[in-house]
This record gives sequence, structure tokens and C-alpha cells, in this order.
Amino acid sequence: MTKAIPRIGSRRNGRIGSRKTGRRIPKGIIHVQASFNNTIVTVSDVRGRVVSWASAGTSGFKGTRRGTPYAAQAAALDAIRTVVGQGMQRAEVMIKGPGLGRDAALRAIRRSGILLSFVRDVTPMPHNGCRPPKKRRV
Amino acid sequence: MSLSRSPPSPLTLVAPFATTAGGNGRRHQLLLPNRSWTNPNLAASTRVGGGASVRCMANQRRVKMVAKQIQRELSDMLLTDKVLQYAVLPEASLGADRYLSSLTTISGVEVSGDLQVVKVYVSVFGDERGREVAIAGLKSKAKYVRSELGRRMKLRLTPEVRFIEDESLERGSRVLAILDRLKEEKLSSEGKDVKQLEPLNSSEQDGDGDMDDEDEGIIYIK
Repeated sequence: MTKAIPRIGSRRNGRIGSRKTGRRIPKGIIHVQASFNNTIVTVSDVRGRVVSWASAGTSGFKGTRRGTPYAAQAAALDAIRTVVGQGMQRAEVMIKGPGLGRDAALRAIRRSGILLSFVRDVTPMPHNGCRPPKKRRV
Repeated sequence: MSLSRSPPSPLTLVAPFATTAGGNGRRHQLLLPNRSWTNPNLAASTRVGGGASVRCMANQRRVKMVAKQIQRELSDMLLTDKVLQYAVLPEASLGADRYLSSLTTISGVEVSGDLQVVKVYVSVFGDERGREVAIAGLKSKAKYVRSELGRRMKLRLTPEVRFIEDESLERGSRVLAILDRLKEEKLSSEGKDVKQLEPLNSSEQDGDGDMDDEDEGIIYIK
């Protein structure tokens, strides 16, 4: 689901898609979803249109190693690599979920030279809605 | 008298039950005739005397499972529990609307062999003051955390919780930053020396190879 309004005559031209190059984004949002088994880092612009993403699994880690902080940091560097070339200087970071990727990805982003303007935690919090899964027994 | 690895004689069987009658009865419900002579994983020792204390070692797999479950519960508590959040980040109580100045993460949990002591390694992202505030807040809420953990998890005895600051992530990040800087310096110096394209490409590849080896040497505490 994109937020772009499709032009009426565009179906005849073939694929509707944004151009790969040519979008200069000086400020963007980096979403970090850190679960216990994986970390997904997505880079988007301020309105939320995704530019690039990377996860610990796509960065060459498999299985239990995807959950480690080193994998999270590799994923963050992968995701940022595309955008640094396009000239992103400032970014706001939105963190979702528990997991080790929160800390490690943040540190990797700060190390890469992008200015962090805000760090927000957007873990979804129900106002007592759906029933959570049952308790694990150890 | 300790339970050794031999089949029980009537004397050894009677003794644990004898102390339940006489002693203070603090942990006597644990004095079951556990079959340490059949199961080599479970070692137990009992001391009959003034304060009869029991030490039962759970097997290693269960200790790992409990550690993982405690990590999940504590991370969830940090995300959802209001009391803990105000302890870690005092400005959240003023309605900071989730614009954080510091981020606290549970980077590891170590449980002792008898499941009585839990060491929680906490890593805080932020400046020096934020880190101090977060760690001090957590340490002040240790008893509250222990009671919450007992409510959420079904354990026979809720372990004592100790919070320890974990600097390994920060150290690893610093080392990687130094490595990045060295690599850039090497590239720029080589770029000045050699003015052709092919030697530059090969030196970049050599640099990447070194970087990867040194990165893999860093172990993060999970």
C-alpha cells in the first residue's frame, strides 16, 4: 500500500514505480524493528515511503545468529549504505520491540556519521485489546 | 550425612523426613528423596543440623531456558511497566511522549546453577548522566522487579535480581569506530601515494579483508 495517488493514464506505460535514482532526501526516518530472533532496519523518508531496508537475515546471518547485536549492527550498516550515497544527513530513529538490536543498531547508526535528531520508541501498546498468546512454561 | 550415589537404605530415607518434624521448616518441602543415585545430572546435598539448608542444582538445559525466559519477561517489563519506565527515564512521567534521551536494553541474563541468583546485564544508550540515572533507577527497583517476576513466572523460588551495567556493546562500538577510522586513513594515504586506479582497488579489497577478520574477533555478550 503506497501513499502515492496513481495517475489515471499511467497504467498504459507499464510498471508504476518510483524512479530508482534521483530522489534526494536530506532528512529521513530509520525504523528499527528488534525482535528476539531478528532485527529489521528500514529507511524511509519523512512521509513514510520506504527507500531501502535490510535485516540481519539478509546481511548474511542465519538461524540463532540473527538475534545477536553484531548482526543488528551489520543490518543497520547495510540499510544506511544506500542512503548515505543519496545524501541523507539527519535521521529520526523509531524503535520497535524488545531485543538486542535496539542498542546495537542505534550505535551503528550513530557511528556511521548520520546525525540522529530524535530517538522514539514506537512499540505497539494495546489499550487492553487482543488476548496475548499463552504463557510459556519453563 | 549426605546422599551419595548408592541405593537408599532405610536409614537414609528416614533422615530427610525426620528433619521436617524437628527443624524450622524453612525449605523442608524441598527435601524430597530425589534420586541422585539414578540421575547423574541432578546432584543434591543435604545438611542435617541447625539450619538445614538444601542446595539443588538444576540441570544445565533448564538453567538456560529459565535465563532466556527471564530475559524475555524483563524486556517486556521495561517496555510495558509504568513503574519501571519512570525509574529508568524520569522524564517519561512528565509526558515526554516517547522522545527518549536514553534507551535501556537488557543485553544478557545469567542465572546461577541453583536458580537463586540472577545477574541482569543492562546496557544503556545515551550520555553519561542518562546512564547513571537509568542504572540507579533500576537498582532502586530491584525488589519490585523481583516481585513482578514472581508474579509473571511460575518458579518455585523467585531468584534475587541484581542489575549490572554492561559496557561490552559500548566497547565494541568504540573498537569498530577506531577500525573504520584506520581503514579510511589507510585508504586516503594510499590514494595519495598511488595515483592509478587498479592498485587502489586491490588495496581496498585488502583493507576489507582485514576489517572482516578483526570484526569477527569481537564477541558480544548476548
